Amino acid sequence: MSREHEKGMSLIVKTITRLTVGIIFLYGVYIVTHGHLSPGGGFAGGVIIALSFIHLILAYGKEVAFKKLSEARASIWESTGAILFLSIALLGFTGGYFFLNFIPKGEPFRLFSAGIIPLCNIAISFKVGAGIFAIFVALILLKLDVGKKK
Amino acid sequence: MSIYFLCLVLFVIGIYCIVRKRNVIKMIIGVIILEYAVNLFFILAGYRVNGRAPIFSSGEEIKNMVDPLPQALVLTSIVIGLATTALLVGIAMRIYEKYGTFDITKIRELKG
Repeated sequence: MSREHEKGMSLIVKTITRLTVGIIFLYGVYIVTHGHLSPGGGFAGGVIIALSFIHLILAYGKEVAFKKLSEARASIWESTGAILFLSIALLGFTGGYFFLNFIPKGEPFRLFSAGIIPLCNIAISFKVGAGIFAIFVALILLKLDVGKKK
Repeated sequence: MSIYFLCLVLFVIGIYCIVRKRNVIKMIIGVIILEYAVNLFFILAGYRVNGRAPIFSSGEEIKNMVDPLPQALVLTSIVIGLATTALLVGIAMRIYEKYGTFDITKIRELKG
């Protein structure tokens, strides 16, 4: 047993988590990148990406999960998503107006199509994934001092 | 029509949960039930009999589809519901930190 097995849930849960957490993350990436073709998109894929990290934090404890995505790093990713979305929207001014789809649209029903919509989905997924992970961390790591009432 | 009535029943259950229960966590669950009743109502309002999902995919001709506008609205509503639920849970945790209880009848101090 290595050191990362000291905290968290039992060995069964940890083994299953180790096998599935990458698949969950990849499924989230799939939902995000196919957001303009099939149901899903930035928010749904971002939630699934966040759930993969939440899965890790539930099974292994916070140290192992923070090694993959720390609180500060989550905050940076969230801000990156917001700035990316805003800059994609502002880049529309190169052709005329806000949120202009300035990239060539391509052929419908292909992965590389629909102009800026996949890029917007990716930006939203950064924002949502890091944001939901940060909400979860903020809720579970809040230290409560009960009984301070005089 | 009866299905809208069942939706109303779910809404009333949510209101009952908010008004009658004394535990803050149960009141938050009431808010969630209420939100989902409204979401369900929107989806039902956009339903067409024998309609398929409003997804445009290659090689298929869409003849009869459900209304996509309420679905887009409900997606936004779910996102906002997630944020408000997180906010409510945070406030409930602060209440527990300050008063040591979730019972609203025992939270009596009005300062700070």
